[in-house]
Amino acid sequence: MAERLTLEEVSYSYPLPGREDLPALDGISLAVEPGEVLCVAGANGSGKSTLAQVCAGLLAPTAGSMGYGGEKIEGRRRLLSFRRKVGLLFQNAEDQLFADTVFEDVAFGPRNHGLKGEELETRVASAAGHAGIDLDELGGRSPFSLSEGEKRRVALAGVLALDPEVLVLDEPFIGLDFDNGERLKGVLGAYREERGASVVIVTHELADAWSLADRFVLLDGGRCAAVEEKSELVRGDIELAGLGMRLPQWGALARGLIRCGVAVADPSDPVVLARAMAERRRASDGR
Amino acid sequence: MGDADSFRMRMEGVRYRYPRAGSDALSGIDLEFEQGRMYAVLGRNGSGKSTLARCLNGLLVPTVGRVTVGGLDSADGASGLEIRRNVAMVFQNPDAQMIASSVEEEVAFGPENLGLEPALIRGRVDRAMDLVGIRELARRQPRKLSQGQKQLVAVAGALAMEPRFIVSDESTSMLDHDARERVLELFGRLRDDGLGIVHVTHFLEEALLADTVVILEDGVVADEGAPADVLSSPDEVRGLGLRPLEVTVVIRELATLGHRVPAGVLDIEELLSWLNA
Repeated sequence: MAERLTLEEVSYSYPLPGREDLPALDGISLAVEPGEVLCVAGANGSGKSTLAQVCAGLLAPTAGSMGYGGEKIEGRRRLLSFRRKVGLLFQNAEDQLFADTVFEDVAFGPRNHGLKGEELETRVASAAGHAGIDLDELGGRSPFSLSEGEKRRVALAGVLALDPEVLVLDEPFIGLDFDNGERLKGVLGAYREERGASVVIVTHELADAWSLADRFVLLDGGRCAAVEEKSELVRGDIELAGLGMRLPQWGALARGLIRCGVAVADPSDPVVLARAMAERRRASDGR
Repeated sequence: MGDADSFRMRMEGVRYRYPRAGSDALSGIDLEFEQGRMYAVLGRNGSGKSTLARCLNGLLVPTVGRVTVGGLDSADGASGLEIRRNVAMVFQNPDAQMIASSVEEEVAFGPENLGLEPALIRGRVDRAMDLVGIRELARRQPRKLSQGQKQLVAVAGALAMEPRFIVSDESTSMLDHDARERVLELFGRLRDDGLGIVHVTHFLEEALLADTVVILEDGVVADEGAPADVLSSPDEVRGLGLRPLEVTVVIRELATLGHRVPAGVLDIEELLSWLNA
């Protein structure tokens, strides 16, 4: 079960040799609640990928502090122990694959954590199962011979094999078609459910995380512009266009309905939206 | 353009198999692309979209069948340069295309390779940058631009070849909403100016902007036609591995509740005006 991950006034600047540092994050404060799916969204260059790497403990904040389970993450040992609890799926799956076979690729992390023999096999099988990888079929193949969708799943299996409490994914849906995207959503939902894990999805497209996320962190030029729930986004509390984003079609439809005076309980469910519309039609036909 | 009617890209019985692959990536494609129209090519991962795009500008030559561009056969080595001059490609990742140290040098790269006079190149580069609206970026370093700006530079580089067609292979998929809108708006303008646009994409909303939608499945054309004809059935779209337009899903749900929305409604505004009618 995950614990609460907190960022307090976190800033990060990339060091540039011989020149001024390049600021990427500026005073971000947020919490990832245990077991929630948090979407971090923003336009290109808003600091999303940097935030993903900070959340995964790969980049240490240049200012501000982080905490996990109420304890500050400071000093090398605390950072290392935190890193063992977080898994990061990089934007480009190929960056994460390197072994000769799919099995070895997935086994790399847990082997490094000291697992071997039956324990290792079980861990790999479970992670592969979660990620939808058939080890009997693919286990002996080179990960580089696989399709894009399969590569992404193998990379994800490698991350899940570390049994992370917090799973961070950087643009996991880019390049995936509808079926593969839906399958990935299923994997993330199930992992959260079974493991009690927190999931952080970083994306430039709110639609990708719409059905899955509980809350949305909206980044703008390295700052946190807002943290909103779906209903707040639909209501239009914040102008998304100004942040280089747009409401997903489901949300836009729900917003249109609300403006027409139709109440919408869940702005991501077509059945709910259709029922609300049908009721409205019946009411106006009855007049 | 006087000869716009006669200048077409044709694929006839095109099959393509990658070296050492066990099956065809394209297995029998017959399509024709005209100037002054926008085509959206859709299909799930592995359906053959990118292979089709690469066949159109001669990067790949069909294993069987033929591709002709303005009558020139892409299998004829001597036609290669002429075909690439007429059919410019824009790819998914603009970083992979940026090589020069300033935007104007980047845009000039194509025409320089054609061996044109410097004054002629200058004129083409300026026109291309104006068309795309990136004149103010001329002296900037391409690598320091945003993803969206880089993609606009890539499109300007393509335009500086003064092509008759632009083939975009998922050129919008890494862009944020604003940048995507800018690229699509530009494609629309270029189409209106008489260029042919072939845009490979995952996004059905983008296909709504096209005159013709082509859906690929297992290397063959599964459907082809106007957006309203091809995209209105969510079940068919879903069956081809694509995300159906949300509006069409709601319309199907409404039908099961006994409410018929008129055919051809694909966007939210139209659906809401039906609701309020």
